Amino acid sequence: MTTDVDVLIIGAGASGAALAWSLAETRMRILCLEQGDWVNPADYPSTRRDWEVRMDREFSPNPNVRRRPEDYPINDDDSPISVVNFNGVGGSTILYAAHFPRPHPSDFRVRSLDGVADDWPINYASLEPFYALNDRQMGVAGLAGDPACPPHEPPLPPVPLGLAGETMARGFNALGWHWWPSDTAIATQEYEGRAACVNLGPCKSGCAQGAKGSADITYWPLARRAGVQLRTRCRVREILVDDNDMATGVVYYDERGVLHLQRAEVVVLACNGVGTPRLLLNSRSARFPDGLANRSGLVGKNLMIHPWGVVRGAFDAPLDSQLGPMSCCILSQQFYETDRSRGFVRGYNMQIIRGFGPVATARMGVARGDIPWGEGHHEAFARRYGRSINIGICCEDLPEECNRVTLDPTLTDSNGIPAPKITYRLSENTERMLRHGLERGTEVMKAAGAWDAYGEGPVRQTGWHLLGTARMGEDPERSVVNGWGRSHDVKNLFIVDGSVFVTSGGVNPTPTIQAVALYIADAMKQRLANLFD
Amino acid sequence: MTTDRPDIADSGQPLTSGQRASLDIVLDMIVPPSADGRMPGAVEVGVPAYLFAEAPDALPVLCQELEELDRRSRVRFGRGFAELEEHERKSLIEEMRAQEPSFMSRLSMETLACYYQHDRVLEGLGMEARPPYPKGYQVVQGDLSLLEPVRARGKIYRDAP
Repeated sequence: MTTDVDVLIIGAGASGAALAWSLAETRMRILCLEQGDWVNPADYPSTRRDWEVRMDREFSPNPNVRRRPEDYPINDDDSPISVVNFNGVGGSTILYAAHFPRPHPSDFRVRSLDGVADDWPINYASLEPFYALNDRQMGVAGLAGDPACPPHEPPLPPVPLGLAGETMARGFNALGWHWWPSDTAIATQEYEGRAACVNLGPCKSGCAQGAKGSADITYWPLARRAGVQLRTRCRVREILVDDNDMATGVVYYDERGVLHLQRAEVVVLACNGVGTPRLLLNSRSARFPDGLANRSGLVGKNLMIHPWGVVRGAFDAPLDSQLGPMSCCILSQQFYETDRSRGFVRGYNMQIIRGFGPVATARMGVARGDIPWGEGHHEAFARRYGRSINIGICCEDLPEECNRVTLDPTLTDSNGIPAPKITYRLSENTERMLRHGLERGTEVMKAAGAWDAYGEGPVRQTGWHLLGTARMGEDPERSVVNGWGRSHDVKNLFIVDGSVFVTSGGVNPTPTIQAVALYIADAMKQRLANLFD
Repeated sequence: MTTDRPDIADSGQPLTSGQRASLDIVLDMIVPPSADGRMPGAVEVGVPAYLFAEAPDALPVLCQELEELDRRSRVRFGRGFAELEEHERKSLIEEMRAQEPSFMSRLSMETLACYYQHDRVLEGLGMEARPPYPKGYQVVQGDLSLLEPVRARGKIYRDAP
C-alpha cells in the first residue's frame, strides 16, 4: 500500500503536465503515474549520424514499430490511418512537430453555425485566457495579426520562413489565398532556460537542443518544483470505484511488473484519445459492466483523427528546403471555414512542411519511381533533394459513433492488459474535403513554380490527433464528462485529454488540449469546497 | 579501386560466394558510381556490411531473392546472373520487378539508408558529414513583407458566440 494522495493524474503528456502544474498551487498531494520514462535528450536521433534511420526505428512514432517495453500495441487493421504517439514523460509532445495553431471560434459552434455534429459546452472566449497562458508556458513563436485567427500575441518571434517558405508564400499570393507564419512551440530565442532553436530539422524525433516545447521540459520541471510527484514506468491496469460510484484509486504495475494499489480522492485521466477509453473500458465492475463512466455508452466512440493528405512539390531552384524545423513554417487557412459551394462542410488547414533528409528523399523517390535505380539515379536525386516542399492537408473529421476505440479480444501489452483496437473510416464529407485539399494544394504548388506536384492521402502514419472518445457535454445521455471535465457518472473522476473534444476543428490540437486541461484545472480550483456536488 | 568492406561471404554470414557476387552487382545497379567520380557506388560505401549489421532480419528474403534471380537467369539466358552482360542483368531485374514490385524492395530501401548516411556521399552532395546536433544549420529568415496582401484582405474567420 502506498501513501494516499489527493489527486492522482494518469499520464504525464501534454494535458497531464499542464493540469499538474496548474493544480500544484493548491498544495494538495498530487501524484502522476506515467507508464513511460524520462527521455534523455542526448539519445535523440539528431545527435547521431544515423538520425534518419533511428527516426524510423526506436523513435518511430508508431508504437507497433517502436515496441518499447512501455508501449502498448494498437490494433489498427480496421483503419486506413495508424495511431502514432509516444509513451514517456511529455507524452506525444516528445515527437510532435510543435505546430501550434489556434482553432477558430466557429470550431466550438459547429451545430449552431453549420448544422452538423454538436456545439461544445464551452467556447473560444472561455478558453482564450488559457491559450494565452499555455503559449507562455510552452514558449510559442509566431507573428501577431493573422487575419484568419482571433488576435493573440505569441511571446516569441516566428521560425524562419527559409527559401521554401518564401517560395510557397509567393504561390499563395499569386492565387490571392491566405497564408501566415505558423505559431510553433519552438523557442526561436532563449526562453525560460531553454536554448534557442538552431534548425536541427527533425523536430519529430525529439529536440536535442531543448528548443522545442515538449511537456517534459516546459511544465514538468515547474510542477515538480512545486511539489507534484511524478512516478515513471508505472502502468495503470484499472481504476477502482466504491458502491457510491466514487473512484477510490487505481491498480498499477511498476517497472518490475509488481502490482500496487494507489488510493486517491480525485482521479484524472490524461492518457490521450486512445489510452483514456482503453483504461475506462478495462475498468469494468459490477456497477459499471460496460466500462467505467460509460453509462452513456459513448466511451471510445466518436473517434476523430484528422485524416491527413500531403501534396509534394519539386522545384528547379535550390531551396535548402531540408533545413529548418521540418513541419513548422507557414500555414494557410484559406479553406478552413465552411463554404458549402465546395461540396462539403467544415474545412482544412494547409501546413507547409519543409523537405526531407537525404535518406527519406531517396527512399520516397525510389518507392514512387521518381528516382530510378542505376542510370540517372544521381541526377534525379539532385533534382529533388533540397528542392522539395510538402503541404500537409489537415482535415476536420466530424464525430461518428462508428469510428471508435474498443478493446482487442486477444492483443495485450507487456503486463497482459488488453490493448486497444481502432475502427475508423473516412466519411463522404471528409473524403470530399480531402480531395479538395489535395487539388488546391497541387494548385498552389504549381503557382509557386513547382515542376512536379502531386497529392496523396489519407496518409497512413499520421494518426497523431486522437480526439472525441469521451466527449464533454451537459447531457449525461450524450456525453461522458461535463463542461469542466468531470465524469457524469463518477463525480471524482476527470478527463482532461483530447478525448473530451466534441468536434475536432481542423488544426493540430495540442494548444486546445492544453488550454482545456488548464481550463478544467481552473474550474477544479474554483470548486474545491464542493468539487463532487 | 580499394574498399574497406569486409568479405562477408568469408565471415560466416549466410551468403554463398555466388550470392555475394550477385549482391554486389545488384547493389551497384541500384546506386552506381557517378560518371564524374563525385559519387561512389553502393558497394564502395559498404552496403553489404551494413545489411549484415543493421538489417539481419532482411537476409532470409534477400537470399531467396538472389537465388530466384540466379534461377531465372539460367532459365532465360543459360548462365548465372553474375555471368550476364550488363544489359541482360538490367533487363532481367526490370522484368522481375515489373512482375513483382516488392522484389528486392527491402534491399533497395536498406541500400539507400546506408548510402545516404555515408560520409563520402554526404560530402559528394556538398554537405558536412555530421549529425544535425549540436551545430545546427542557418536558415534564411525570409521576407515578411510578402504578408502585405494577406493583411490587406482582412479578417477571414467567423465570429461565434
